[in-house]
Amino acid sequence: MPQPAKPSEEGGGPRRPDTGSPDKDNLLKRMRRVDPKQAERYRQRTGE
Amino acid sequence: MRLFGLETEYGITREDMDSIDSVVESMELVRAHLTASFERRWDYGGEDPHEDARGFRVPCLAQDREEDEFAQVDAHRPLSFHEMKSDLVLPNGARFYNDHTHPEYSTPECRTLKDLLAHDRAGERIIERAAARRNRSLGGAPVQLYKNNTDFHGHSYGCHDNYLVRRSIPFPDLVTGLIPFLVSRQVIAGSGKAGSEAQESGFVPGGYQLSQRADFMETDLSVDTMHNRPILNTRDEPHADPAQYRRLHLIIGDANMCEYATALKIGTTQLVLELIERGAAPILELEQPVTAVKQVSRDADLKATVRLRDGRLLSGLDIQEQYYTAARQALAGSDPETDWILQEWGDTLRLLTQDRTQLIGKLDWVTKLWLLETFVRNERIGWDDSWLASLDLEYHNMNAERGLYRGLEAEGKVWRMTEEADIERAMFFGPRDTRGGVRGLCVRRFADQIEGLQWERIRFAGGLRARTLEMGDLFDPGEASACAEVFERAASPAEGLADWHARKDARL
Repeated sequence: MPQPAKPSEEGGGPRRPDTGSPDKDNLLKRMRRVDPKQAERYRQRTGE
Repeated sequence: MRLFGLETEYGITREDMDSIDSVVESMELVRAHLTASFERRWDYGGEDPHEDARGFRVPCLAQDREEDEFAQVDAHRPLSFHEMKSDLVLPNGARFYNDHTHPEYSTPECRTLKDLLAHDRAGERIIERAAARRNRSLGGAPVQLYKNNTDFHGHSYGCHDNYLVRRSIPFPDLVTGLIPFLVSRQVIAGSGKAGSEAQESGFVPGGYQLSQRADFMETDLSVDTMHNRPILNTRDEPHADPAQYRRLHLIIGDANMCEYATALKIGTTQLVLELIERGAAPILELEQPVTAVKQVSRDADLKATVRLRDGRLLSGLDIQEQYYTAARQALAGSDPETDWILQEWGDTLRLLTQDRTQLIGKLDWVTKLWLLETFVRNERIGWDDSWLASLDLEYHNMNAERGLYRGLEAEGKVWRMTEEADIERAMFFGPRDTRGGVRGLCVRRFADQIEGLQWERIRFAGGLRARTLEMGDLFDPGEASACAEVFERAASPAEGLADWHARKDARL
């Protein structure tokens, strides 16, 4: 059985993100643009 | 023995219409993937959701009546069943189709987490590309897709994780070993939800819970998937030699945006299956599993306890700790991937207790909660504000310009485990060491000579004798690679089949 690639910090593994506050970047702006009524309008049929 | 895959049903909407025909929209989305006209190739033989792993066959499913009603409506459409399903098998061995009005992407069978993540992300790219094409044809960007599990009106759709399991493991052992694990797995793998709801009943704003799906769990065990949803689905549809194998079909899981959460969800579940096979899983019998799954989900402080039949009270984290400890004792040192899962599982459980902020960008429920807390604080709104459900929904929007997770990813605030090159490759090639790779290879090389195909076989056209590549027991990685090599070299399917059969005969 071939050995699976070992995720690691160096190659192909998880890379640590910058988790500063979203206040400082565009995320909050993106969130403010979300229509407050969007989920109210969103309708799906039951799936599996 | 490791082999797993993910099926993801996406939510779909049209923002330029008040109400949509979801059958047509889902079908058109799938077909937007095609550059040629649709040809029916998926073979539905062997699909029987009425077979129950407990050893019987149910006469009907809870959803059959509703499905029959929809079928009556669909009968009046100018489209056949197969046209509506638009079942595609892609050159990477994946299945992409319209399932119950949701575009669904099923990854090919994968053997490593690295492959699974690449294929899950490849599915996202493929469905995003289809949406872009569909939007170009409509003008603007009216079609939006959501990798989530609820419409906030009591309708849920799934992200199912599947595992190949030896039939020799008694099904009751799987039940005993898995239910407490699945009830508590959401502390790692939940995608988070603002508010609460129940099957086909109204949304109640307020509060935050770990899981999208917990509200929809209604029973411990059931063959059903759309109503009366179970913590452990008992559908016995192995897509493999039924004498040797089961396909464990888990429907309790949330669709994850975070790669790390997907890796831990699949990785820890695989380890628990290995514990069960060795008879080394912890014995924890919950008094009321369905109540427990909701209790665990609705406590983001992770302090809520659930009662065991022996009277003990354990939190979701406590239960996960017991599984983790058993896995570390029994499986440490087995292989590098197992050691990676154990390391990350242990670290995650520790951080959930000590410093949750370090899991932002790794676990969806933690990441979404961080975003919503920030928003609530900045906008000075209450947790019962319906805006939060909309933000929750947008976390899962696949649109790079709008999706909140997409925004976090663009800003480098989430943990990535895939490389772009791996995702690109997974869009066109299946894993080389599984039958998914063989399926994809045959689609790439011999598409116009395939009459029908499905998970366990490919039926080629032409000739007097049946020309079928059977893959119901093609699970050894060396054999799968060898089969792929044979069909890579072959000038035709007939030559490939002849070579493959000769090779198998020579071994007998």
